[in-house]
Amino acid sequence: MNGRILELVGGPLRAMRRATIWWCLGLAALIAATISIWPAFKGSSGLSQAIDQLPTGVVQAFGLADFGTPAGFLRANLYDFFVPLLIVIAAVVLANGQTASEEASGRLELYLAQPIDRRAVLLGRAIAALVALAVISVLLLIVQLGADAAVGLGIDTGYLVSTIALCALLGALHGSLAVAIAGVRARPSLVLGVGIGVGVAGCVVASLFPLSSVLAPWRHLSPWDWAFGGNSLEQATDLWRYAALAVPSVILTTIGLVAVTRRDISGA
Amino acid sequence: MDRADTVVQIDGLVKRYGKVEAVRGIDIKVARGEVFGFLGPNGSGKSTTIRCLLGLLRPTAGTIGAFGLDATRDGVALRRRLTYVPGELRLPDRLTGMELATSFGHLRGGFDPARRDQLAERLRLDLHRHLRDLSTGNRRKVALLLAFLFDAELIVLDEPTNGLDPLMQREFLVMVREARATGATVFLSSHSLSEVQRAADRVAILRAGKVVAQGTVAELRGRARQRIEVWFEDEPPAAELKALADMVDPVIDDHRLTATLSGSIQPLLELLASHRVGSMLVEEPDLEEAFLDLYDGEPA
Repeated sequence: MNGRILELVGGPLRAMRRATIWWCLGLAALIAATISIWPAFKGSSGLSQAIDQLPTGVVQAFGLADFGTPAGFLRANLYDFFVPLLIVIAAVVLANGQTASEEASGRLELYLAQPIDRRAVLLGRAIAALVALAVISVLLLIVQLGADAAVGLGIDTGYLVSTIALCALLGALHGSLAVAIAGVRARPSLVLGVGIGVGVAGCVVASLFPLSSVLAPWRHLSPWDWAFGGNSLEQATDLWRYAALAVPSVILTTIGLVAVTRRDISGA
Repeated sequence: MDRADTVVQIDGLVKRYGKVEAVRGIDIKVARGEVFGFLGPNGSGKSTTIRCLLGLLRPTAGTIGAFGLDATRDGVALRRRLTYVPGELRLPDRLTGMELATSFGHLRGGFDPARRDQLAERLRLDLHRHLRDLSTGNRRKVALLLAFLFDAELIVLDEPTNGLDPLMQREFLVMVREARATGATVFLSSHSLSEVQRAADRVAILRAGKVVAQGTVAELRGRARQRIEVWFEDEPPAAELKALADMVDPVIDDHRLTATLSGSIQPLLELLASHRVGSMLVEEPDLEEAFLDLYDGEPA
C-alpha cells in the first residue's frame, strides 16, 4: 500500500481521533452503568409483576417482555434502542465531519487541488469513518464482554459479537447514506438531518409498527428490523441480515462516489 | 503564441451559478515561462476562473485547461503539473505546518524535507506550531511553502500576499522570479496592482467576469491617462490645445497648462514644437491608473 492511499485514509482518521475516543468513552460508560444495575434486577419477581401490569403494546414497544432475563434486560436497556441509535448517530456525524462539513468549510479545496481524483478523496474519508466505527464497535464489544463476565449475565459470546456487529453494520449503512448525500451535495445540515432522521424513523418503524396489525408488515422496510428482527442476543443470526445491511452500504457509497464527480466543489 | 508554448489556455469560459454569471466569456493564453498577472477587484471572477482551471468547478460553457489537458476531463494529470495557493485559506487547524507539509508530500510524491526546511527558514516560519495558532500572515506562508515545495511547471497563486508583511511580500516576489528562472509558469491572481506590476510580464484585467484589457504591463501603461503640465515662455496656444483630440480637461492658467492625455502624446509634442516651452512634466502612469481608467470607461 503506497503512501498516498495511507494518507487518504490516515489523514481523516487522525482528524477523527479525538471524536472517536469520546464516542468510545460515552458508549463504554453507558454499557458499564447499565450492566452495573443488573444484579438489582436479577431474579426480581416484583419487577416482572409490575411489567405484567403494563399494556401489551407498551411492553412490546419497549422490549420489556423478558426484562427479568439477561437477554431481555440487555435488549430493553441497550440493544433495542440506545446503542444502535448512538452508533447510527456516531456514524452519520463522523462521515459528515469528514465529507460535507470539510467541503462546505473550504478545508477540502487545498486537498482537491492536488493530483488526486476526488472520488479517491471521498472514498478515503468514507473508509476512515468506517474504521473509526469499527474501533468504537470493538471497544464496545470488549466492554460488553467484560461487564458480562463481571456480573455473570451469561450471554453467549457469539451472540454478543453478532449483535454488536449488526449495530456496527446498521451504523455503516447510515454512514454510507451520509456519504451518498455528501457526494450529491455538500450541505452538512442536510447530511445530518437526513442521516439521523432516517435512523430515528427506522427505529420508530421497527418498534411501533408491529403494534398495529395494519402497519406490522411494513416494519420490514426498516433496516432496524433487518438487523434485530431475528433476536440476535438469543439465537444465531441469519447471514442475510448482515448482507441486507452491507450491500446497501456499498451501493450508497458508490452513489456518493459517482455523484461527487458530477458537480462543483463548494467553496468556503 | 505557438501552441507548444502555450501553458494555460482559456477559450470562451463561462461560469454561471443559477442566474448569476460569475465569468462571462474569458479568452486567455499564458505562455511557458511567463508570469501572468490576473488582475481585478473582488468579485470580478478571478477565483472562479482559477477554480475552473483546477477542476474544482465545471465550466458552464467554453474550455479551460493547461498543457493541452482539459481541466474537467484530465484534472488529475493537469494538477500533477501545478501547485496552488488558494485565496481563501482554510487549513486543517489541528495539524502543525510540518504535519501538513508531510501529508501533502505523501499525497503528491517527490517530497524533499531539506527543501521544506529551507523554505521554512526563508519564510521565517515555525513549522512546529499548530495552524490554529498561526496569524493570517503565517498561515499564508504555510500555503506559499506548499506551493513552492514541489517541482511544478505551473504555479497558480490566488491573492498570494494577503496578510504578508512588506518584507515577506518582497521575498515572495524573489521566489516568483526564481521559479520563472527555472522555467516555471506563474499564474498570479491579485487585486494588488503594485504586486502585479512588479512581478508580471503580461496582465489580463477582469471586470464583472470579462477581460477588459490584456497585454504587457508596458502596453497597459501606454493606454493609461497621463497627467501633463507645460510651462510656456510665450502665449499658450489655447484654442489649438483645446482642439487636440486626446486632451482631457485642459486648464490654462497664465503660462501654465495642466491637462490629462487619454491617448498618444505625439500630437501635443508636435504642437509644442512650434512654441517656446520653458519646462514640461509628464507623470508616468502606473498600472493603477490604467486599471481605474478601464473601470471608469467600460459599462458594467
